[in-house]
Amino acid sequence: MSEEKQVKVHVDKVNKSYGDNHVLRDISLDVMDNEVVVMIGPSGSGKSTFLRMLNQLEKPDSGLIEVDGYDISDPKTNINKVRENIGMVFQNFNLFNNYSVIDNITLAPVQLGKMTKAEAEKKAKELLETVGLPDKASAPVSSLSGGQKQRIAIARALAMDPDIMLFDEPTSALDPEVVGDVLDVMKHLAKMGMTMIIVTHEMGFAKQVADRVVFFESGKIQESGTPEQIFTAPKNERLQTFLSKVMQA
Amino acid sequence: MVMKRLKPLLTALVAMLFAAVAVGTSASADSKPNYIISTDATYAPFDFQDKNNNYVGIDMDILKEVAKRNNFTYTLKPMSFNAAAQMVANGQADGIIAGMMINDARKQVYDVSTPYYQSGVAWITKPNSKIKSLSDLKGKTVALKTGTAAAAYGASLKDKYGFKIKYFNDTDTMYNDVVNGNTAATFEDYPVIQYAIKNGMKLEVRNPKNLGNAGGVGFFVKKGENAQLLQQFNTTLAAMKKDGTYDKIINKYLNSKQSTFVGSASDNNTTWGILKSNKNAFFKGLLETAKLTIAGIILASLWGLLLGIMGISESKFWRGLSTTIIYAFRGLPLMVLAFFIYIGLPGVIGVKIPAFTAGLLTLILNEGAYTGAFVRGGFESVDVGQMEAARSLGLTHRQAIWKVIVPQGLKITVPSFVNQFIITLKDTSILSAIGILELTQTGTLIVARNSQGFRVWAIVAVIYLIVITLLTWLSNWLKKKIA
Repeated sequence: MSEEKQVKVHVDKVNKSYGDNHVLRDISLDVMDNEVVVMIGPSGSGKSTFLRMLNQLEKPDSGLIEVDGYDISDPKTNINKVRENIGMVFQNFNLFNNYSVIDNITLAPVQLGKMTKAEAEKKAKELLETVGLPDKASAPVSSLSGGQKQRIAIARALAMDPDIMLFDEPTSALDPEVVGDVLDVMKHLAKMGMTMIIVTHEMGFAKQVADRVVFFESGKIQESGTPEQIFTAPKNERLQTFLSKVMQA
Repeated sequence: MVMKRLKPLLTALVAMLFAAVAVGTSASADSKPNYIISTDATYAPFDFQDKNNNYVGIDMDILKEVAKRNNFTYTLKPMSFNAAAQMVANGQADGIIAGMMINDARKQVYDVSTPYYQSGVAWITKPNSKIKSLSDLKGKTVALKTGTAAAAYGASLKDKYGFKIKYFNDTDTMYNDVVNGNTAATFEDYPVIQYAIKNGMKLEVRNPKNLGNAGGVGFFVKKGENAQLLQQFNTTLAAMKKDGTYDKIINKYLNSKQSTFVGSASDNNTTWGILKSNKNAFFKGLLETAKLTIAGIILASLWGLLLGIMGISESKFWRGLSTTIIYAFRGLPLMVLAFFIYIGLPGVIGVKIPAFTAGLLTLILNEGAYTGAFVRGGFESVDVGQMEAARSLGLTHRQAIWKVIVPQGLKITVPSFVNQFIITLKDTSILSAIGILELTQTGTLIVARNSQGFRVWAIVAVIYLIVITLLTWLSNWLKKKIA
């Protein structure tokens, strides 16, 4: 990494508990501009909770989280402003059921005064092109397949021109044959230099796209490194166990 | 979009409430004094509606004469007896004339005129009954009407004479129970049973010379107020007794044929005749019901929407307020709320609330609470991911609510809205208790006059069913448009 690259996400000693369940323990992590970080680990290891903290869908009990230079663990920070620069893609797509495809994409930029309706629609059509669904603009959400929904959800997040994208298991709810379509869009984004933080079980994708792979287990980052380090020479015993299980499948 | 549409409606809601209160409080431009007089319009021969739906009776004729000779006007407020008396006690009305007996308890609360009629409780059997004295009632059953002074008197004799009691809610059914021999006797105010017997009820008074709790019937004003009105009433009453006007009035009601007030037999003994001879009254009643229903549905829906949105607010305060309001107004029986607003509230805030406004407010608060509860439920049933997605894009909580949650939540609640509309229509009938002359109260007044309970209530029921059917069709059409 070159020196002038700036830190986009800075997390220091974050803790989070739900009752007795200590889901995140002293997590620290920095993500640089243009970096693609893939977080892997067994279910319940805390990786999704961690991801959701980066745009304050969850609040930490303690610790510091800075995104784009804003301290979002400080209650005085206007979280809405910060969120405008963080796109998020959910496992269950969460497209707005009451709007057509194009209205899903234009809602936020228009409501937040970033673009006029006409500008937003022009941009939406470009984004639909990017995700490979140019003919779906006026389709109702209910008419789409899962893979199509997830690609629209990515387009919706991109409409705000974010400089960070968060992906929370974006392919887990998809039929296997359409997973590739969604991953292709994500690869394209990575190639364009988007800073991305991705929670996924797609190990092949992680190998191909990640600059860094982070292994979560029991609320801790047990190991992190390049895909080569993680997948070919894992040091942590739990990581080795985890990989042997997922690679068998 | 939804918000833009709702804002003017909410403004209109507030404006309408203010206007309604203002209309009720605006002073008459007339130079003559105008008094508000309450009465119970189901109490022949003192107060009832004649075949043309005018309020007539001994009370009405005396009141009219007093007003004429003293150069004042009055606004008549007919409603249930208890409500009518309460209105005077807390200053909503200036006086009550309702065949009301003078007694010590009432003198504590009201100033009373000189008695204009001597009354008392009669006990009544079938003509030529073997029961000649109260002692003969031992082991027999006596019919009483719930809540009346006559019933209280009858019940007080129960242990002494060893009879059993069966309670009724309306006079006509009670009389017929005795006529049919199911019960042995009944107790009723003397002039009232006199009028009923005159009009063909086959019963006989056993104690015309020896009435129970005998006393005078008077005109009542709130204690310490309206002394002039009371003075005028007393002076004119004395003059009317002297010049024969008084006797004329009494004769008119106690020595007249039934048809004089009630109409011909053909107008009363067939359903068609009743419908035809009362079509104007039914139409007016229906119109009032429709006005209450439409205004109630619109305003209660808006209020409920507001409660629902408050209920999913980020702020604990608004959520708590919404929960409290819904809890309180859903827990209150509609009639209690109506009495509270119409009879209780004006005494505290010092502003008279017209019956229609009070009724509408009651509907808004009660139906609005139910609406608020299901609207909040509808909003809460929208998948949490919808809110998270909206917020993750940078939309504020408010934007997310209005743009994403509300439209989806409302769609879920459409069937509940339709249901609530129909309930609102039916609930307007309860507002007859505060004297709003809607369909049910219209029916009550007609039955009080012609005793044709079965036919009149059948007509009223059918009218309600027709309106509900129309409302259901309209709602289903709306449902299809929204879905």
